[in-house]
Amino acid sequence: MKILLMGHPNVGKSVFFNRLTGANVTESNYPGTTVDYTKGWMKIEGEDVEIVDVPGTFSLDPKDRAEEVAVSMLHESRDAKVIAVIDASKIERGLYLAMEIIEEGYPLVIALNMRDVAEDKNITIDADRLERILGIPVVSTVAIAGEGIKELVSRLKEAKPVNVDDIIANAANASDTESAADAGGAA
Amino acid sequence: MAGQSSGGAVYFAILGVVTTAFGLADLLVTASGSEFAYGGILEMPGDIFRGGWGGIIVLFAGLFYLSGIRNFDDIHQFAKVVMGSILIWVVAGCDIFAMITESIPSWNEETGPWFNTLPDFIAAYAPPYAPAVLLLPFSLVVIYYVRKRASGEDGGGNSP
Amino acid sequence: MKLNTGERWDLIDRISKETVTFGAYQHTLKDAIGELTVKPMTGIPVAIAVMYGFWSVFGSFAGFFTDGFFVRLFDVYWLPWLQEVFPGQGDWLYAIMVDAGGFESGEFVLSSNCLESFGVLTSGLFVAIGVVLPAIIIFYLMLALLEDIGYMPRLAVLLDTVLHRVGLHGYAIVPTILSLGCNVPGVTATRILETKKQRFIMMTLLAIFIPCGAQIGIMQDVVPGLMGWILLYLIIGYFIFGYILNKIVPGKAPEFLIDVPPYRRPMLSNIGKKVWGRIAGFFKVAIPFVLLGCAIVGVLYQLGVIRFLGDALAPVFVGWFGVPKETAGPLIAAFLRKDLAVAQLSAITMTPYQMITAVVLVSIYFPCVATFAMMLKEGWKELLGALAVLTVVVFTYGGLIHLIGILLGVA
Repeated sequence: MKILLMGHPNVGKSVFFNRLTGANVTESNYPGTTVDYTKGWMKIEGEDVEIVDVPGTFSLDPKDRAEEVAVSMLHESRDAKVIAVIDASKIERGLYLAMEIIEEGYPLVIALNMRDVAEDKNITIDADRLERILGIPVVSTVAIAGEGIKELVSRLKEAKPVNVDDIIANAANASDTESAADAGGAA
Repeated sequence: MAGQSSGGAVYFAILGVVTTAFGLADLLVTASGSEFAYGGILEMPGDIFRGGWGGIIVLFAGLFYLSGIRNFDDIHQFAKVVMGSILIWVVAGCDIFAMITESIPSWNEETGPWFNTLPDFIAAYAPPYAPAVLLLPFSLVVIYYVRKRASGEDGGGNSP
Repeated sequence: MKLNTGERWDLIDRISKETVTFGAYQHTLKDAIGELTVKPMTGIPVAIAVMYGFWSVFGSFAGFFTDGFFVRLFDVYWLPWLQEVFPGQGDWLYAIMVDAGGFESGEFVLSSNCLESFGVLTSGLFVAIGVVLPAIIIFYLMLALLEDIGYMPRLAVLLDTVLHRVGLHGYAIVPTILSLGCNVPGVTATRILETKKQRFIMMTLLAIFIPCGAQIGIMQDVVPGLMGWILLYLIIGYFIFGYILNKIVPGKAPEFLIDVPPYRRPMLSNIGKKVWGRIAGFFKVAIPFVLLGCAIVGVLYQLGVIRFLGDALAPVFVGWFGVPKETAGPLIAAFLRKDLAVAQLSAITMTPYQMITAVVLVSIYFPCVATFAMMLKEGWKELLGALAVLTVVVFTYGGLIHLIGILLGVA
């Protein structure tokens, strides 16, 4: 099995990579630290899994060499699972990339990283609800402190391709039940 | 609380004036190409690096203090005061680090021991000190205000 | 099924409305300090202070190890011992490995220190371990600290306006600073730049104008008083030729949006790992090159190649660059080992201004073989272009520095 770590620049992909594989990829607090991909190995339930630290990219429509590396990496690994690392304090942008990857039919797990930064900014994310809407595992993490990594690994096997139509339907349903609940509360 | 804050403003106003004066004096001393010592505790470095470059930073630190004291409670103003202290820590930290690295080897070119003798080692830390080192203890007061602010925020009381 | 951009954003909007709550946003002290460090009025003083700190700690640390211990260890103990025990004093192997020595009134005399002996085991080891290693350790330590705190992107934002003048965006500061340690990772880091044009300009400027840690270490050791002037000339050159390249190289230099991450408390373990990784990388790449370069220079000296080239090119050096005839040899050898060349230059008597010119020339010469190989990997066209630019720069800028000296009346 092969797992790609993808996400925007400076969301902590390399931190995940090092946590997962015990490798020593350079981690920095600035975007663009990883400009080439790095591969490593880990064991999940006895199975050898290849992990790839992909350079940061904003979308699947590459703007520079590092992004080209990222996108071609994804396209070359048709059978891979993807961990989409999202900066929890900038969730919309991260979801955009995640959605693009979902649309291409890759099985996905979302790591909502940098929860601590989001908390600093007073942003709260309902991860369970997000998980129900997207139909894929969503795990809150603070990779730099090691929080949530175990859960992420244990849920990798739940990653599966989802149909965008289902997500659209779920999103519509979610808002319906919400308004219904609101109405009930008001009455 | 307001009284305490204005106390802080007055304190940093005075520190700001002193720091600015030190910075300017250091630049003047450097420009005149001499050294200046006072009362056995203060010695202004006269070289272009520590006196000139370092002097400018001390001057900046003073200006940060002075520009931050008005509306001391406002977070953006207070940040300037904190930044003033950080600049002093940078210069003083470098001065102290230089003292440490200079105090350990004997600097003998040919023979003799590798390390400094104990009396010489201790003597390296005796006054006079550079302006930033003298300002260092006074600049640390800002930590008290940072802590006070942090505990104030936890209690929900934050200034607009 | 695939969505188009608009549909995708719509969907995300709906999802995030369901799942994300934005609380009242309060400015924290961290945010306020973050803003201070990017606004020019307050950010420039902070940047000046950061550079002061970087340089001061670098100088103290490197001086502590090099001048405090290594100079004495190598000059007083290692060199005389090797001179004594290594067989065949005066023959070619001795000259290459230990001490080329010198001739005074027809008699062979041994060198008195490790910068003048030019042996692989003496000068080579001294430069690699005594001078470069401490410089590299402290450089990467400070760099890792600045990176992990999150200061680098702020410096990039701050410098964006200035760097745009030379066709680069603020992010160019990252490869530039990395190159101060070693040009090889600097060249790799240019991949974050978007267009070929930007990458070419950046690589060329790095290779020509940014001295690496080994050079800085040795300059700090042998010509500390002139460092400021040398670096000033290099920075000015970086901007002048960046500006010119931006005008003449075809292509676009688009705007780049930088994400400024929050300040973070650096993690000691991460810094340790990173510094160790970089030092290990430096050892693997640089140390063999220092020793090998040293050996090749030694062989060329023994064969008389450098003396021959030096004599042939001496008129150019004297007439065009205004440096003494004796510098011709070191300046030629500098193509292989810049650090040793600087040491060699420091042993020749000349005016301070001539010394500045000579050291600047050594610095803008082509980078070490490792960087050369790295640039070749990025594309041979770029490498040839960079070589052409280099040749032009050496002659025009070298001449210009001479001219400035003449006008100031110091050359």
